Amino acid sequence: MALFKRELAMLRDVLQSCGSSAVRTAFALRNLCKPPDSLMIAFYRIGFFALLMALWQVAATRMGTNVLPSPLATWRAAQTLVGEGQLIVAIGDSLTVYLSGFAIAIIVGVPLGVVMGGFRVLGKTLEVYVFALAATPRVAFIPLIIVLLGLGVEAKTFIVFLGALMPILINAYAGVLAADEELLEMARSVGTPRGRIFTSIVLPGAVPFVIVGLRIGATIGLINTVVAELYTAVRGLGGLLAIYGNTFRMAEYFVVVLTLATVGVIVTESLRYIEARVSRWRDV
Amino acid sequence: MMSAGDPVERSGDAEVRVVLDRVCKSFAPAGGGDRVSALQDASLSVGSGKFLALLGPSGCGKTTLLRLVDGLIQPDSGTVHVFGAPPRPGPDIGFVFQSFRLIPWAKVTRNVDFSLRDLGLTAAEREERTRRVIKMVGLTRFANAYPATLSGGMKQRVALARALAPEPKVLLMDEPFASIDAQTRELMQIELMRIWTRRRPAVLFVTHSVDEAIILADEIALMGPSPGKVIETVPVDLERPRWTYDARAEPRYVELRKHLSSRMRQFVLSDPASEFFGRDLVQPDGMGS
Ligand SMILES: Nc1ncnc2c1ncn2[C@@H]1O[C@H](COP(=O)(O)OP(=O)(O)OP(=O)(O)O)[C@@H](O)[C@H]1O
Ligand SMILES: [Mg+2]
Repeated sequence: MALFKRELAMLRDVLQSCGSSAVRTAFALRNLCKPPDSLMIAFYRIGFFALLMALWQVAATRMGTNVLPSPLATWRAAQTLVGEGQLIVAIGDSLTVYLSGFAIAIIVGVPLGVVMGGFRVLGKTLEVYVFALAATPRVAFIPLIIVLLGLGVEAKTFIVFLGALMPILINAYAGVLAADEELLEMARSVGTPRGRIFTSIVLPGAVPFVIVGLRIGATIGLINTVVAELYTAVRGLGGLLAIYGNTFRMAEYFVVVLTLATVGVIVTESLRYIEARVSRWRDV
Repeated sequence: MMSAGDPVERSGDAEVRVVLDRVCKSFAPAGGGDRVSALQDASLSVGSGKFLALLGPSGCGKTTLLRLVDGLIQPDSGTVHVFGAPPRPGPDIGFVFQSFRLIPWAKVTRNVDFSLRDLGLTAAEREERTRRVIKMVGLTRFANAYPATLSGGMKQRVALARALAPEPKVLLMDEPFASIDAQTRELMQIELMRIWTRRRPAVLFVTHSVDEAIILADEIALMGPSPGKVIETVPVDLERPRWTYDARAEPRYVELRKHLSSRMRQFVLSDPASEFFGRDLVQPDGMGS
């Protein structure tokens, strides 16, 4: 399909220069349906970024720079923090906790959800407890975790794990349960053995659900990283957040906030990329 | 015209591929409540290499009957025999479903190959067989396409290829051409006839189009609703191949069509389950269209 994109664009230019409004409407409709040009989106995003910067600058000058640092001051603070090394160390600490907690949540959550979906009795038995656990605010467990695991990396990783686990597990479970009944019957009709019905129909069908679970899990995991760093030994990006926030060093504080946002964007965008790769059969 | 009231018990006969004898099947509705009777005392038989059309209005248990013949569901009472024994789903019985039921994340080739995986063929044999069947339905150019990129008619041909690939001796087809436009449908019918003439599986072909039934079938089992049953079986004694001459102009065709259409209309009008609003406006017996 990529081959035709250029031709299509050329064709559109030619047709539009003819001024045929019907054709133009047709292409407009087409554009509504298909994902927009990524280059154009990048351009708009940069434009919006400039707008945000301008608004930020205006807000900073009106509110006073000791409450809201200007973009320039923030940029300088970022340079200092990177230069002195604290920021890099903090990012390293946070990413270690975040990624290992998230990874363990995937390793445990996906298989557990799949097994619960595959064995209905097991699923029905456990699901009440899973939902109960998912509904309990995970912060409630932090004192217990500290008692059990202390204030170090283990405790932090476990807090991240616990936050990311539930959405991952529940979505994998739901994905298996949502298997297409019609496809299952088709597979049965051609004489496919049960095991392979599971691997060739049920599991691939669950993939989109699993990826949604990963995306939610990634977001909650990041939140829990910061929470863990605030509640246990004060380290990493969460630690910096506490230090600069409490001492009103707003420029540095902003640097940390923006760093967290960047990490979040990178992780969710990567997952989105994986999702697009996995479900290529969807788009024409 | 032969009445299907007394069942044909010929299961010893090797020529008979499919026999249903006084089959009843009911379902428990998902929301609870009384069981819905889908089939009551349905009897029919299909000889080896014969093409039987199941003709009947919506909801008279046609799909249910096919699922019973494939062994996907079990009858409440009565017997279903295929090759002289209760059927089990597998490569001997092909099923073309009312919806296409293609695997969306698999390309055409892999969708067709899906029905070949348990035949004990080598990878090379499977590949060769898949290629041949895809060619037979005229989709060679689309072998590497995903189902989402195909038109309805092409999807239906993939489903047909998948059902034909294991070379089944019984082929079940559930309104396969219902969602295809009239021109394509006619071509698909001719194609089906060509394939059937070559392979000669016993076919159970569900339709609610009177014309389609007459054009394709050796015999038409007319089914009625509430509860679903086989009302009568009508042989179609028109010469084959029927697309080489204008079968629709034959007096026998006209006669069959008139009879079947008026019975169909009667079913719809007299079905207590249907809420056909024009019921009072139409004479139950009259007016062949
Ligand atoms: N799995 C099921 N659960 C509950 N009721 C069912 C089920 N399958 C069929 N029925 C009921 O049995 C009756 C016959 O259904 P069936 O699908 O066999 O009809 P059909 O003749 O194929 O209709 P159509 O032409 O609309 O496809 C209907 O009343 C339907 O509601
Ligand atoms: Mg049906």
